[in-house]
Amino acid sequence: FRCRAGSQGASVVVSSQMTSGRVLLALVISPAKRVSFFEAAIQVGTEDLQVLSAVYSQLGNAYFHLHDFAKALEFHHHDLTLTRTIGDQLGEAKASGNLGNTLKALGRFDEAIVCCQRHLDIAQDLNDKVGKARALYNFGNVYHAKGKSICWSGADPGDFPEEVMTALRRAADYYDGNLAIVKELGDRAAQGRTYGNLGNTHYLLGNFRGAVAFHEQRLLIAKEFGDRAAQRRACCNLGNAFIFLGEFEMAAEHYKKALHLARQLKDRAVEAQACYSLGNTYTLLHDYERAIDYHLKHLIIAQDLNDRIGEGRACWSLGNAHTALGNHDQAMHFAEKHLEICKETGDRTGELTARM
Amino acid sequence: DHQSTAVPSSQIPHSDAIEMEPETMETKSLTDYFSKIHMDTVMPGS
Repeated sequence: FRCRAGSQGASVVVSSQMTSGRVLLALVISPAKRVSFFEAAIQVGTEDLQVLSAVYSQLGNAYFHLHDFAKALEFHHHDLTLTRTIGDQLGEAKASGNLGNTLKALGRFDEAIVCCQRHLDIAQDLNDKVGKARALYNFGNVYHAKGKSICWSGADPGDFPEEVMTALRRAADYYDGNLAIVKELGDRAAQGRTYGNLGNTHYLLGNFRGAVAFHEQRLLIAKEFGDRAAQRRACCNLGNAFIFLGEFEMAAEHYKKALHLARQLKDRAVEAQACYSLGNTYTLLHDYERAIDYHLKHLIIAQDLNDRIGEGRACWSLGNAHTALGNHDQAMHFAEKHLEICKETGDRTGELTARM
Repeated sequence: DHQSTAVPSSQIPHSDAIEMEPETMETKSLTDYFSKIHMDTVMPGS
């Protein structure tokens, strides 16, 4: 069928077929197309408030996936108001959850916590275990993001101010609560996500052994589902944790797996990140030839992607590796290139370092 | 002790290097809405 947006002129076609009285829709479409479709749907209008709630919710989610969090906030807020008005408790719980995620993305953590609490309270009232688990996961994400948002002046994981550590510990507590429920429910996909974020939280708390154990669980579940994006994330996070454990060979192995997966996924930005991590890891292993090889790979991708900051970092690292090998001409070349990029990007700290 | 490795700070990953799992957004079914639009399309004026 065709759905038109009247005066705005937008139209979206979604294929449909009737099978046994049910409408099957090809809704595996991009968030941008979903936005067009549901904006058009609002123009068409409906007297069914449950349907309107679903349209607001879908629009909010589509804007969330487009990272337009202000618009996402607007529609999830409309949904919340509507569900409260019509007394739809389950709908209100879902709207609260989505609003909490959106407020978190906007850095409005205290308001996000209120929404998570409402989501959790309703789930408990309705004896809804799935809802409760999801609310606890969202709570964990809010406290994790809150902890990370507090400035720590470049401190290492495990060495943050008490306020940060408190937020991270709370995040771990909520993830633990979530994990207990999703294990009981046998929801492996949810367990995978929680293990990943628990790994990241323990990493920031300085518990690197714990982080490794959680990320290994995450990797195992990602393999069960054939989810290569999640496998890549887990490998990257495992590499980071092994660096802090001083186990650089193990870190290199995981970063190599992350690189291989990034190439399979054809994601150039994360491929560049893996090359940069590998370059740094081989520098720590004093294997400067390999470090140069990976930093050059990083440099080429950064140039392809027009990522001047990445290019500057690659040049800085290449300058250091060539210095270590006594290749002074090459070292000077990359140092000058680094200086030029720092001037262009307004990186005063980098510029001062380059001049040294 | 992980701190004893004396890793140069420029070479180690920082907190922004960690990769978080995706948020889980709640979804609401639109089946009723699509059914209605479909019926309006196949039976105009009904």
